[in-house]
Amino acid sequence: MGCSSSLPDRSSGQLAGLNSENGGVSDAKNLRVKLVLLGDSGVGKSCIVLRFVRGQFDPTSKVTVGASFLSQTIALQDSTTVKFEIWDTAGQERYAALAPLYYRGAAVAVVVYDITSPESFAKAQYWVKELQKHGSPDIVMALVGNKADLNEKREVPVQDGIDYAEKNGMFFIETSAKTADNINQLFEEIAKRLPRPASS
Amino acid sequence: MSSDSSSTSGDEFTNPNPNPNSTSKPLEDQFASAALTEPDNEPPEIQESPNGVVNGSVSENNHGEIERNERGGAVGSNLEARQSVRWRRTNSEVEVEAPSSPSSSGYAGERGSSSGSGSSGGFEMIGGGIGGDDDEIQEVSNVDSIQDSQASWMPGKRHVDEDDASLSWRKRKKHFFILSNSGKPIYSRYGDEHKLAGFSATLQAIISFVENGGDRVKLVRAGNHQVVFLVKGPIYLVCISCTEEPYESLRGQLELIYGQMLLILTKSVNRCFEKNPKFDMTPLLGGTDVVFSSLIHSFSWNPATFLHAYTCLPLAYATRQAAGAILQDVADSGVLFAILMCKHKVISLVGAQKASLHPDDMLLLANFVMSSESFRTSESFSPICLPRYNPMAFLYAYVHYLDVDTYLMLLTTSSDAFYHLKDCRIRIEMVLLKSNVLSEVQRSMLDGGMHVEDLPTDPLPRSGTLSPHLGQPRDSPESFREPFVGIGGPAGLWHFMYRSIFLDQYVSSEFSPPINSPRKQKRLYRAYQNLYASMHDKGIGPHKTQFRRDENYVLLCWVTQDFELYAAFDPLADKAVAIKTCNRVCQWVKDVENEIFLLGASPFSW
Repeated sequence: MGCSSSLPDRSSGQLAGLNSENGGVSDAKNLRVKLVLLGDSGVGKSCIVLRFVRGQFDPTSKVTVGASFLSQTIALQDSTTVKFEIWDTAGQERYAALAPLYYRGAAVAVVVYDITSPESFAKAQYWVKELQKHGSPDIVMALVGNKADLNEKREVPVQDGIDYAEKNGMFFIETSAKTADNINQLFEEIAKRLPRPASS
Repeated sequence: MSSDSSSTSGDEFTNPNPNPNSTSKPLEDQFASAALTEPDNEPPEIQESPNGVVNGSVSENNHGEIERNERGGAVGSNLEARQSVRWRRTNSEVEVEAPSSPSSSGYAGERGSSSGSGSSGGFEMIGGGIGGDDDEIQEVSNVDSIQDSQASWMPGKRHVDEDDASLSWRKRKKHFFILSNSGKPIYSRYGDEHKLAGFSATLQAIISFVENGGDRVKLVRAGNHQVVFLVKGPIYLVCISCTEEPYESLRGQLELIYGQMLLILTKSVNRCFEKNPKFDMTPLLGGTDVVFSSLIHSFSWNPATFLHAYTCLPLAYATRQAAGAILQDVADSGVLFAILMCKHKVISLVGAQKASLHPDDMLLLANFVMSSESFRTSESFSPICLPRYNPMAFLYAYVHYLDVDTYLMLLTTSSDAFYHLKDCRIRIEMVLLKSNVLSEVQRSMLDGGMHVEDLPTDPLPRSGTLSPHLGQPRDSPESFREPFVGIGGPAGLWHFMYRSIFLDQYVSSEFSPPINSPRKQKRLYRAYQNLYASMHDKGIGPHKTQFRRDENYVLLCWVTQDFELYAAFDPLADKAVAIKTCNRVCQWVKDVENEIFLLGASPFSW
């Protein structure tokens, strides 16, 4: 029983990075984009994704480990399609240092907070700053206040979200993964804002 | 005796040894003289010591001393404390262990007394005065022993509302704590860590008091309770238990809990304590309660936790080969370990050249994946650390469920390898579907593995066709099951476990009546655990054979350099026949080893 490590790098030519989606050809009509969800644990990132990708909502909390990968394609009215390759990251503190692994090279970042939790709003601002410092410069950022169905427990005013998003050039929306409210709108709006490759 | 046996045709004494060079003798030989010391037909009910242990320390020439060593499984440094250990049998969690010493209280008395006479003494502290009344742990009652069983086990942390002031918390049979060397709570099996700050500080005080004296505290006995300590740098682990499990077992469990923590965080967490001794680690483990509670639950059903071996899903040799071939294929493309598992059983696994995977790491990894529900939702890519491989560094695990129980884990050192691993998975999945591996896996899950009822009656000269192969329809007319329905296998054989030392693998028979309820299974599990500990006892062991009869079982253990066999029989089983049956079990395992073990190209035997 040794601990000798065998580096897999000997054939690293085959190793595709998290950013270089193999065969990821985007043309003007069929976009393919990498999207990352960031935010505090328990704000509902996975619920948003599962609602969007599978139309499901599971109220039992399943803590995400590392990051989950899902994809979903939507068709826009101008007959273009957008395939989202979604990295649903874990909100736990121990994974914070690994976030660059997932947001590096992402075209879209969705930063989520819980409208009933000011702490999660503060955490969202941390992620926005982090992305501004280390993300790609032309990244499309969305600020999402989730759990909009819990309006009676709201602690983060809508206006705070709007103001912060505006100041940072972000798109803002409040959603409820539970009721499916604004979930599709979120992703459609993102799709519309994507920079289109110049058609040749 | 022994000349008699060696002159027989060899049928009865076929050496089931996988290693032809080995010199292990058939079990009859080893017990030959042991049998002489014990009157034949001794009715079990008049045995003075129902847990009488015969330790056959058989030397090479087979004339070694056989000493009748009357002892229980309890292992501890402070033997004198045993006097205060009262033997109780509550009607809830039925503990198998024999009294830790054959005390004068006698067998019948132990049984009859239901008065919970155990002393509820406070800790008798070394250097007293540290503990104080807060540490007193009350008599244990029946609270939630039933829900502890595997069948009804629900994942997740329970009783978070409790703290050390709650009576219910004090009554829990087995506590586990992780704390920092400054006394900050990190994890507690029961109750809210934050509310247990005072209790944690007390545990820390005990440990550091002893350390300041230039010593190390390993075990404290207090009444029925054992308090086991494990110090790992700035991390302290403590178990407080009244389950009467041996010290070595509890310590092993703490080691696994520590390993599980490393799997999540790596050992580099120690640096946080170097920077800030008052560092609060609980946020770093956020959301991992289920991982620890599921590991702790496995201490009461999964033999891998003390055997330090893994078990395979029984499969036809060709099926496992097919799975292994495609895994090998991806391992050659830069994957460190490729592991295909069904629940906690291995279908196949492959390591890159010279990379070896320790069975404990496999246990911890499988536990981590199975207890984290999010892996079931979609494919995931997560940093994990294999503590026995490299406790300092993260590896990256690609995890994907192929069906509800079957999952593939691809481990790499490269944090960028996700898309490559995803491609590997697609290729693997295609091959597995085409070669019907996945449907075979489903079938094996339904059929189960070795059933004691199927033990071939006659160890006829080697001809594999006579041993019932797994996967054959088991209700065929020539099946030997019929006569034994409800009473186990032939000769009162109820269950067995066989661990191959070379392969780091074990196989255990399916549970059959009468070992059919979760409670009985847990009791047998604990009996094996005790047997294992006593066989491997560093003080008076290791032993080669052990025959033990108590009111619940006849337990037989046989350890050679190639394998360890643990078998449980009806308590009235005849000793000579039980010994013969064990030889047949070994032969049977040998006959079907292609199907129950992962053979060849073992990453463990490089």
